[in-house]
Amino acid sequence: MQQLLNGLFIGSIYALFAIGFTLVFGILDRLNLAHPAVFAASAFVGIGLAEAFELSIWVILVLVFLFGAVLGLVIERVAFRPLKNRPDAHFAGLIASIAMAGMIVAVLQAFFGPQTRRFPEGTAPEGKVEILGASATYVQLAIVVICIGLVIALNVLVQRSSLGRSMRAVAENPTAARVLGINVDRVTAMTFSISSALGAVAGVLFALNVNSAQLGMGTAIELKGLAVIIVGGMGSLPGALVGGLILGIAEVFAIQYIGSSWRDFIAFALLFVILLLMPQGIFGKRKVREV
Amino acid sequence: MTEAILQVTDLRVTYGKVEAVRGVSFEVQQGSLVTLVGANGAGKSSIINAIAGIVKPAGGKVTFQGQDITRTGSHKLVGRGLVQVPEGRQVLSTLTIGENLQLGARKLRGGAASAIDGIYERFPVLGERRHLPAGSLSGGEQQMLAIGRAMLAEPQLIFMDEPSMGLAPKIVDEVFKVIEEIRAGGTTVVLVEQNARRALQAADGGHILQNGEIVRSGTGAELLADDGIIQAYLGTGGGGK
Amino acid sequence: MFTESVLVFIALNGIFAYSFYAVLVAGQLSLGQAGFAGIAAFVAATLAPTPTDWGPIPTLIVAIVIGMVVGSLAAVILGLPTMRLRGVFLAIATLGFAEGIRIFILNQSWTGGAQGMSVPKIVGPEIAWVLLIVVAYWFWRQGRSRYGRALEAIREDELAARSIGIDVGRHRLTAFVSAGAIAGLYGVLWAYFMRIIAPEDFSFSTAIDGLVTAVVGGSTNFFGPILGSGFQTMLPEIQRAVGIEAGWLRPFISGLLLLIVILYLPGGIASLVPRRKQKIDVAALGLAEASGESVAMREHPAKGEVVVQLNALAKEYGGVHAVQGVDLTVRSGDVVGLIGPNGAGKTTLVNMISGLIPPSSGSATVLGVEVGRTPVHKIAAAGVTRTFQHSKLFNRLSALENVLIGTHLVAKPTFLRRLLWLPSARRDEQAALAQAARCLDRVGLLEKANVEAKGLSYGDQRRLEIARALAADPSLLILDEPAAGMNHVEAEELSALIRSLANDGLTIIFIEHNVGMVLGTCDHIAVLNFGQLLASGTPAEIEADERVIEAYLGAVQEAEAETSAPVVADASDDPNQGRA
Repeated sequence: MQQLLNGLFIGSIYALFAIGFTLVFGILDRLNLAHPAVFAASAFVGIGLAEAFELSIWVILVLVFLFGAVLGLVIERVAFRPLKNRPDAHFAGLIASIAMAGMIVAVLQAFFGPQTRRFPEGTAPEGKVEILGASATYVQLAIVVICIGLVIALNVLVQRSSLGRSMRAVAENPTAARVLGINVDRVTAMTFSISSALGAVAGVLFALNVNSAQLGMGTAIELKGLAVIIVGGMGSLPGALVGGLILGIAEVFAIQYIGSSWRDFIAFALLFVILLLMPQGIFGKRKVREV
Repeated sequence: MTEAILQVTDLRVTYGKVEAVRGVSFEVQQGSLVTLVGANGAGKSSIINAIAGIVKPAGGKVTFQGQDITRTGSHKLVGRGLVQVPEGRQVLSTLTIGENLQLGARKLRGGAASAIDGIYERFPVLGERRHLPAGSLSGGEQQMLAIGRAMLAEPQLIFMDEPSMGLAPKIVDEVFKVIEEIRAGGTTVVLVEQNARRALQAADGGHILQNGEIVRSGTGAELLADDGIIQAYLGTGGGGK
Repeated sequence: MFTESVLVFIALNGIFAYSFYAVLVAGQLSLGQAGFAGIAAFVAATLAPTPTDWGPIPTLIVAIVIGMVVGSLAAVILGLPTMRLRGVFLAIATLGFAEGIRIFILNQSWTGGAQGMSVPKIVGPEIAWVLLIVVAYWFWRQGRSRYGRALEAIREDELAARSIGIDVGRHRLTAFVSAGAIAGLYGVLWAYFMRIIAPEDFSFSTAIDGLVTAVVGGSTNFFGPILGSGFQTMLPEIQRAVGIEAGWLRPFISGLLLLIVILYLPGGIASLVPRRKQKIDVAALGLAEASGESVAMREHPAKGEVVVQLNALAKEYGGVHAVQGVDLTVRSGDVVGLIGPNGAGKTTLVNMISGLIPPSSGSATVLGVEVGRTPVHKIAAAGVTRTFQHSKLFNRLSALENVLIGTHLVAKPTFLRRLLWLPSARRDEQAALAQAARCLDRVGLLEKANVEAKGLSYGDQRRLEIARALAADPSLLILDEPAAGMNHVEAEELSALIRSLANDGLTIIFIEHNVGMVLGTCDHIAVLNFGQLLASGTPAEIEADERVIEAYLGAVQEAEAETSAPVVADASDDPNQGRA
């Protein structure tokens, strides 16, 4: 039970991170490899805010959400929009976003130095609760609630709101969307913004969970995020949630039964099995693009 | 005298180095029905896409209701009442019929629901299936959805690109009936059709396109009366040999 | 600035970049190379003898052989199941595989785990540069070979490549395996230069560095990876030399430069060097023919033999019957016109005949091949080539190069012989060139042989596509709206070309809207309407067929009857002010 709970905590962060990847891929058919840099940057910015102003974690989460949203707009503007009419836009966008990621991490290093950073004590409430014989800290509970809450909120946004309908229209057929008078550039920018905002929150929660932030933390989760979106189905929001939870739980059990050194192997084993057996993933649809 | 709602002057469209439209000029009068006819590849859809802001023209000038819209994007033009029913219908097949219509009615905001109900009344089959994906509709029904969706944008001028494509004659009749209704409602219509005779019969005036140029213009009746034109440019007579 | 290690790193990074180049030229994005290099390095370092027993150079050679074999094997193991994946899916799968290898190495005792393994130092600048030059030579010779052209075709347009007979799966796998072998070479050289190797040397960021080097250098020219490696390796050195010391500034500038290259220099640094196009000297063409070198020519089926036999052929897309119950026989030497309104199923029908899409029911036999279960390139090999409704040319290549790729089926493989500079390879290349030039000449495009395909006019693009299809020496040629966008004169020339091809024994199926042209060109016409065969017969029969008149041609009478009717109102509303 304790293992399941631990898997749930880490898995929900994976899900929140991966959903940003999959949102951009599902709507725009682009892989944004600057996403992990947003994840790392927001953890550092969150810690920086906590140190400088002694803010509560709730205020920090809101500020970091906004920080991520703005960073997402910058990434789209600099690394993706100039490429949109190029025949190799897919590939070029990938490389441009790698370049952006390098620059973001370099700027982080300039501001925060290369050392590992931690949240100051008292940023988050402390204490534990017992659930069905397993114990969980308040922080861990908050992580699950925030992650799953945000994933559900995003689903509602995409399914019910006017912006969500526009996003799905762009996902299915950008030309038809343009014919309908949808401002495709604006929808694209909004998609990047939302995606990055979610990745930013995931970064702070991750740093809170392990109580440390490193410059390389984005790279570590990047591969897992990719595994999650393949397992869940490229572009599928429910898939990213389920995939993230599966990966989190599988990792925790792998540590227990195979050994902690094989933990990172799980993501790739899972990724490979899914790609070979059901390349469209658990929730992905063949051919038809969905959000 | 009525005034021109749309003026196109020396419009050019190029894809790479291919010239799809080479200096086309015409005017469309308020409330009229004008048709562009010509073979596949003659540049009809390119002209529409350039006017509607889907592709950027390489040269020329387009004015709509007296304002220069040559380089205005489609998202602004739709808001100003220049709306397109695209070739191949382009309904969003994974979205529901209702969602397709909601996307068309974004401009109406609060009034969207009642306007959409109006569309359901006119096309009951859409209302019955409003919660189903648009991809489940037949070709003719999808065409009605595409037209309904465009009407919700309250068009001043509507482009219809090959509305009869792939449809059975009975359905084509109905499509043309709807086009007549739209026009009777005061909306200006520019119709692109490969079914040239049908289009010319319905139109006030027509322009015949070949290789990206207008080769003949006239009233529908004039063009229809000239057998040589039909044969030479539309290729459904004894042309070519 | 040019210390020994900088020189070695330029060479090594260059070789690693070539392992990315190897697949980029075929349009594949793989990130598995770090894994191939890692497993190759560890296996080779474990199995190779020690230099004290064998001497340094023989040791290195043995290690290189082991490493390249291991790298290739890893690529085969990964490639077989993943070659059907495209784009980012392939990238992620290969990345996952590489990370899996890294974690595997990390957890083995024979590799030394995280501490790694110590390896004797053998590699110096000379060895590294010699091997870099060998690899560069390999790709230089690959470029202008039949194999290299096929990879280029796959990169530019996979579907078009299939339709001219290129076995895309096999070519992609071959490119992938060569990437594995070169990555293996890199791994071994790295090991024997660094003295110690650890799993971290072959991580995700290693793969990204290799990809970035290849992209910055450019994949349009064989020396792109060397330029990329020089740039990427020297950049930090130059920054150090000019006094940029801050730890963060260097990666920032690297990222910025990468961004600038990808945004403003799409072909990488190599695109600054003008690419030498394969030019053709029209006068030399006669010489090639006189020397008796020509490509193998196909024997067409005898006049009147059945070439295409369709039985109750049908295609359904999610409830929409695009084509239903079509029975049709096409005989050798015939020109068959396929007419019908847009959306009647004509393109769907020829897509089935050329094997691009499988039928939902019914059967089709084309030149003795059962369509549906046969891959497109095999149908092309049986003698069916085609053009597409929307031209699918290899846009960035010249007209001549487009048609040269079209000779794939009739030309002989030349890559391995080109590596050895065998004269026979040169002769075979000349023969392919001559065939390409003949086909260009046939459609009247010889003077435009050296023009980039996307720079041609619409009509010329259509003709070029026909030339490319002819280059494979087909028995059945399928043309999808070849006259669309052509003017009168061009359409008549096309009609004459089609007739003359039929006189040579070709069978031609063509879709066309210009009914006049179809009536004047064809021996046989099939009329499709709503996916069904409405009528089929000689032009005279079709013109006289009641059903056809009613459904399609009949509009003539109807229109004439109705022109007097007052359909058109209000002449004062005359919109006829076109000034064109």
